[in-house]
Amino acid sequence: MKRPRAIILRGTATNCDIETASSFRYVGADPELVHINQLLSGEKKVLDYDLMAFPGGFSYGDDISAGKIYAVKMSKLSGDFGKFIRGGRPVIGICNGFQILVKTGFLPENPRNAQVSTLYTNDCGHFLAKWVKLKVNRKSPCIFTRGLPDEIELPMAHGEGKFIVEDKAELARITSGNLHALTYSENPNGSMLDIAGIATPSGTCFGLMPHPERNFFSWQSPDRPAAAREAEAAGFHFFKNAVDYVR
Amino acid sequence: ELETIAQTWSEHCKHKTFSGPVAFRDGKKVRKYRNLFKETIVKATKTLNRKWCLSVFTDNAGIVEFGKSGKWGLAFKAETHNHPCAVEPYGGAETGVGGVIRDILGVGLGAKPVLNTDTFCFGRLDSDKKLPKHALSAERVMRGVVEGVRDYGNRIGIPTAAGGLYFDDGYLLNPLVYVGCAGLIPVDKIHKRVVPGDLIVCIGGRTGRDGIHGATFSSANIEEETSSSAVQIGHAVNEKKALDVLMRARDLGLYNAVTDCGAGGFSSAIGELGSETGARVRLEKALLKDTRIEPWEIWVSESQERMILSVPKRNLKKLAAILDSENCEYCVLGEFPGDGRLLVTHGGERVVDLPMAFLHGGVPNFEKPAVRRPVKVSSKPPVSPRQPWGAVLKDLLAHPNVCSRHSVITQYDHEVQGGTVGKPLQGRYGDGPGDAAVIWPQAATLDQRDFCGFAVSHGFSPAVGRIDPYQMALHSIDEAVRNLLCAGAEMSRTAIMDNFCAASPRDPRVMGDLVLAAEGCRDAAIAYGAPFISGKDSFYNQSTGADGREYQIPISLLVSATAPVDDVRDILTINFKEPGNPVYIAGSALKGMGGSVYAETAAAGNNAVPKLDMKAAVKLYAALLRAIKAGCVAAAHDVSQGGLGVTLAEMAFSGGFGAEIDLSAAPREKGLTALELLFGESPARLVLEVVKDREAEFLRLMKGQPAAEIGQVTEEGMLAAGDGGAELFREDIVALKACWKRELI
Repeated sequence: MKRPRAIILRGTATNCDIETASSFRYVGADPELVHINQLLSGEKKVLDYDLMAFPGGFSYGDDISAGKIYAVKMSKLSGDFGKFIRGGRPVIGICNGFQILVKTGFLPENPRNAQVSTLYTNDCGHFLAKWVKLKVNRKSPCIFTRGLPDEIELPMAHGEGKFIVEDKAELARITSGNLHALTYSENPNGSMLDIAGIATPSGTCFGLMPHPERNFFSWQSPDRPAAAREAEAAGFHFFKNAVDYVR
Repeated sequence: ELETIAQTWSEHCKHKTFSGPVAFRDGKKVRKYRNLFKETIVKATKTLNRKWCLSVFTDNAGIVEFGKSGKWGLAFKAETHNHPCAVEPYGGAETGVGGVIRDILGVGLGAKPVLNTDTFCFGRLDSDKKLPKHALSAERVMRGVVEGVRDYGNRIGIPTAAGGLYFDDGYLLNPLVYVGCAGLIPVDKIHKRVVPGDLIVCIGGRTGRDGIHGATFSSANIEEETSSSAVQIGHAVNEKKALDVLMRARDLGLYNAVTDCGAGGFSSAIGELGSETGARVRLEKALLKDTRIEPWEIWVSESQERMILSVPKRNLKKLAAILDSENCEYCVLGEFPGDGRLLVTHGGERVVDLPMAFLHGGVPNFEKPAVRRPVKVSSKPPVSPRQPWGAVLKDLLAHPNVCSRHSVITQYDHEVQGGTVGKPLQGRYGDGPGDAAVIWPQAATLDQRDFCGFAVSHGFSPAVGRIDPYQMALHSIDEAVRNLLCAGAEMSRTAIMDNFCAASPRDPRVMGDLVLAAEGCRDAAIAYGAPFISGKDSFYNQSTGADGREYQIPISLLVSATAPVDDVRDILTINFKEPGNPVYIAGSALKGMGGSVYAETAAAGNNAVPKLDMKAAVKLYAALLRAIKAGCVAAAHDVSQGGLGVTLAEMAFSGGFGAEIDLSAAPREKGLTALELLFGESPARLVLEVVKDREAEFLRLMKGQPAAEIGQVTEEGMLAAGDGGAELFREDIVALKACWKRELI
């Protein structure tokens, strides 16, 4: 079977690029780490790939606000990114990657391609790293969460994860379309409607704050060996689903 | 030239005290050392002569073999950043983390960091002692330090997953901040050699006026006029750029040597790299943060995130391309000529012109006097507690040196790189206190089918050191090794590091503490077969208090330990797993409440320190490791601060199960009281949950060892303990956990 090509986007202080690439490799994709500078110089082209991931980290130090500088750098290439995303090729943004997708206006999807929401400083006022339980919205069109059980566990690690949408119509669009594919069972950061991750209506572009690549294998769980019935854990399915979708 | 010599010969850079001559007077006997460090710490490593030690004491970090592939080495280093954190906690902690990461980047031809560790000592947050005007409160220091470690470590993408917190008013004026880093390095990249003709290339951050005199300031007592401009300003993102560049350039073989700019800045980094070849430096080529800077300031500035590379001229273009692709700044400062001369110029002006041989060999050193500190020790049987036993247990669980560290740990990204398999917070609810971090460095090896990992733990007991510095060293090494064992690591291959902090070495009692602790380090390292691979020391941790008196920190020795884990999927955690499983205690309890948390909270009438039997401990641990490897053990947790009662409580509430315990079979020294058994901190003891249907095999493997069944895990969430007929306490695990799970910050 053909191995889909996955572009793993990085820049200065993209920290989770290697484990995200390894996760895609494990489920049968061919990942390639590509620096935003290589896209801006024309050395690499976004549209040459089948899958795209924005990994976690602190891109450009999260100066100004999380993901903002990376989003600004992407704006010169918004044509290519727009074609990729709206063309239905799978895109996942994890943590800082989700923050980038929100700051570029790709998530939540809207006709003006404008930033309609934000991920703001956690209610506790600082960075928080812990394991959280998440409810999976079975009605969501999101392709990444297909087939997952009703509740899963993933670690989160962020300072700015409070999902806020000011416009009620935009929020209604999310809930009516079941775009909120993942919600926190116990809200750790003050997100509206406990939202942890949202997708586009097509379900192919998905951003989430928790880290599926860190609960990819059962031995990455803090509750061991109780969680170790199978080698692969909840996070594995996010990546597998994307590769299966492309095939 | 004077500045160069001041930096190079400072206590901070040369460690004159520890590697100098000492005359130790113990009663009427006098013992002389020509080089204390070589005759204790280094002696142990040389005696053990382990072939898996790939590089010790010579480079920026120690390196041991990693994994079974033969391809990797594990570099490990810990140091302190005490003085900066006392005057500017946030900046001091940030640059402490940044500095030790650069040590790992600058070992051999560069290792990839996979774990950060941190251990802090602060004054009690509830301290009522009056502070002098210039001193910051313990809470302010703690908040600043935690935030500094958080903001730097998280940004750079290295998990902070091991360490500790210790509160004692001895650290009120002089907090201690130990930072460590471990990284993976290919075995064919562990040697560096500057080739004459190579260019001196500085990559990463720019040079500014921050951190002038850091090395010399760290080699003196903190006083009112101490300036926070001696503390550098950190910028994690610049260091991440340098990291990304170095890993690519290393694998392409683009440079012959690398080291970090730490204390002393260019002067010590270039001075070290060029110690044989000499160096020709043109300071006007340096990229600057501030144009008003003086040439001597450029030379000694400790601005952060700078690495010095020795680059063959033909490779500069390729290196520059990588630097540009990662937006990492660089400058070519000069070359290594091969004439053994250090010549530094700025424009046409000569700034330094010295023979390297004088700079590195000329340091004068004097014999320091040392005496044994007189301490009154009472070995009378301890007084029984006034409160009920259950209330004592609850007080101990809530003690700042015992209670949960979650409010600090959760501020650190302890799982970035996806390899933190043994977690600082573990168990059924993900909040139990892990004994050791276990790292599966898959983001460095890029091999998810290689399940080799390594465990990291610490041992630290300054309360014991106040009474008996020799036993402190033994207890600390024992605790670190025991913690590794609790995770199921191969403890026969433990490598350790010593980090000493002490007050002024001009005080013979301080030197006496140091001598005794160093002797303990040597003896314990040899007994446990655990060589020292690196270490560091920090002196002059003393200040003048509000009352005009001099306050010294207690002698403080942090032992950091690492051992390999054959398969990270099989490691042990501390929480009880299954009702019906038998609970065992391994190791014999010894008399003495000295150095215990209990003795700090109540008058015990006894401050004797239990004398560790190292030979017995090593035999016990070897048997236990066989039982663990055979799959007989479901959970293991060491008995340390707070004693056996705390160990049992933590195992119970981390698993959500209770236990019925009868201590009458617990091995103990004759005449030991119930207080000593339950809340004494006698070393070399562990509590184990044994898998019920493997119990016979467990007993066979533990034959002849002091291990005894003391009860069972129960479904009901009650922890009950008795000694013979009398019940000591019966407490709800939810209530015990509530006492323990305090928000420290």
